[in-house]
Amino acid sequence: MLTATVTEFPIEAPRAVPPVDVDQALARSAARGEVAAFETLYRRHIGRVHGVIARLVGHHGARAEDLTQETFVRAWQALPGYRFESAFGTWLYRLAANTALMELRARRSRPQSDGDEGLEDFGTPDSAGHATALSLDLERAVATLPPRARAVLVLYDVEGWKHEEIAEALGMAIGSSKAQLHRARGLLRARLGGKP
Amino acid sequence: MTSKIDIDNEASGDASLRMALRQLRSDRMPAHDLWPRIAADIAAKPTREHTAVRRVGGSRFVPWAIAASLLLAVALAWQLRPLQPHDGEAVLITHEARAMTREYQGALKVISSSVPASATSTPALRELDASAAQIRGALARDPDARFLLDRLRHTYSLRLALTQRAALS
Repeated sequence: MLTATVTEFPIEAPRAVPPVDVDQALARSAARGEVAAFETLYRRHIGRVHGVIARLVGHHGARAEDLTQETFVRAWQALPGYRFESAFGTWLYRLAANTALMELRARRSRPQSDGDEGLEDFGTPDSAGHATALSLDLERAVATLPPRARAVLVLYDVEGWKHEEIAEALGMAIGSSKAQLHRARGLLRARLGGKP
Repeated sequence: MTSKIDIDNEASGDASLRMALRQLRSDRMPAHDLWPRIAADIAAKPTREHTAVRRVGGSRFVPWAIAASLLLAVALAWQLRPLQPHDGEAVLITHEARAMTREYQGALKVISSSVPASATSTPALRELDASAAQIRGALARDPDARFLLDRLRHTYSLRLALTQRAALS
């Protein structure tokens, strides 16, 4: 009986104390209206948020900064409804990408071409200061892609999204997302000096 | 430079390109600190949800708290030195915050003297005190943020209004 008891209730190893989720705590405070907490969240995530937006808009500096600002303002407004079901960073990152994509869709409906704009932000190295010449060449080439092709390529090949997610975010068919990716890679190879 | 991406080899070029693209996923800081613009935006457009959440202690506090804070706004406008629109220096804001805090503490002391101790430790008042402390902490870190001064004044006004209500009830 004693053996059975021991078997049924083995002595557990001490459990590790779960790490405090700083982002969640800050997000809860910010959702209550504490601006200082939200500023801390801004400082913690600005690099990632601005990074994905800059890549999506082709490193057009002022435009990327405007969208980054808009993302954080939207995050502040949406925080009271944030259900803490996903990591705050993931939620914010998705919000950033969707903010940039919404603007991309809005621009598409306007009669203007922005396929070759951008590039003005390439003097700034990344946060780690390791922008190599290789990555710089590649980033320049990506930035000169047509906006929709660039968005699909960045989301799929750089950010790791699935075609289903891209299609939903961009309001296109999954097949169109795949076609745009194929086109973008071809254009990219051509611009890097290879065969399309 | 691009020779490292084996774009001339169809078989390996695609994989090589994708690997290089994946390495572009890095953080990038904006050329300017965007926080002052963001802070101004969210101060100018507080959401209904934030306002509701900040009304601590339940909805039963809300109607009379608003009415009392409106009544006290006149008194505070008289008590507190008016802000100069072009006083942007951190030193001046810090000075104003300290003066405002002294005035607030004096007013609170007067009002609290006629209130039972139990009435001055409600969850709502404790949360307002905590909020005020956080704002003062934020001001210490960012002393040129004028919107924090405005938020501190608003918090003090509400705190005094709630305390006065407790004194009257």
